[in-house]
Amino acid sequence: MSHKILSVDDSRTVRMIIQRAFRPFDCTVVEGANGEEGLAAASSEAPDLIILDITMPVMDGVTMLTQLKANPLLKDIPVIMLTAEHGQENVANIVKLGVKDYLVKPFKDEQIVEKAKNVLPLQPKPAAVAA
Amino acid sequence: MNTSNPLLIDEIGDLLKSGVTDVFNTMFNLNAQPAELTEIRGDGDTLVAGSVGFVGNVNGVVYIYLRAPFARKLTGLMLGIPEEEVDENEMVGDAIGEMSNMVVGSTKSRICDAGSSCKLTIPSVVRGQHLNTGSVHSSQTLLMSMACDSELFMIELIMQPTT
Repeated sequence: MSHKILSVDDSRTVRMIIQRAFRPFDCTVVEGANGEEGLAAASSEAPDLIILDITMPVMDGVTMLTQLKANPLLKDIPVIMLTAEHGQENVANIVKLGVKDYLVKPFKDEQIVEKAKNVLPLQPKPAAVAA
Repeated sequence: MNTSNPLLIDEIGDLLKSGVTDVFNTMFNLNAQPAELTEIRGDGDTLVAGSVGFVGNVNGVVYIYLRAPFARKLTGLMLGIPEEEVDENEMVGDAIGEMSNMVVGSTKSRICDAGSSCKLTIPSVVRGQHLNTGSVHSSQTLLMSMACDSELFMIELIMQPTT
């Protein structure tokens, strides 16, 4: 079963890294460059997982997450938060937001995939499509 | 590490070098280590400099200066694409900005864990041949060099003195 992942980060670099990380798997990665685009994509694409950066212009990750949780149609979509700051206070604040998990930048491809596999039953891309 | 008083510039400098080593290892699979201080600004090469500031109980800004070809190489490694496919302006700017964000982000976390609070500014990236920074005369400056695969690059930390 093909899954859909929504990647929300203002850095095109990070979005490309996430695209690359999930390329071997049977899933589609859609993107948003800020919280506002992320919310729109969450509504229109119905992702199975959201990978969400915290610090973004226009609308940050915390605000987007708050609005997700307030929407009955979106509140149950699992969210993995990305942050460049791994201090104790920051991690404690992230946990309080009700996210499924978090990952600190820098990260390797296999780390974000591992976190996603804890949430979704990701399967390798079918051989005929993988090439 | 001094945990009862605000971190000193040398201590933050050590955290930055550690952050660079960690980011280079994780994102580029490269080994970056502290090197003897070598000035690369003003030698005629085009440089790319990523910059992130931190504001709060501790105030400062970090610049990471890379020669342009090295910045391009790092961008390709970070994105997993051949160097020839790297768009010099948009991709390099975004990648080096994100790299700077990660380095200073990890440093900021340890500053906060040591008892000071601060927030990060949005990363910025500049490119040029004669990059120079200026600061108010009451600020402190620490210059550091790092080496990676025979490439030298510089880190500049400018801070308001901690009280």
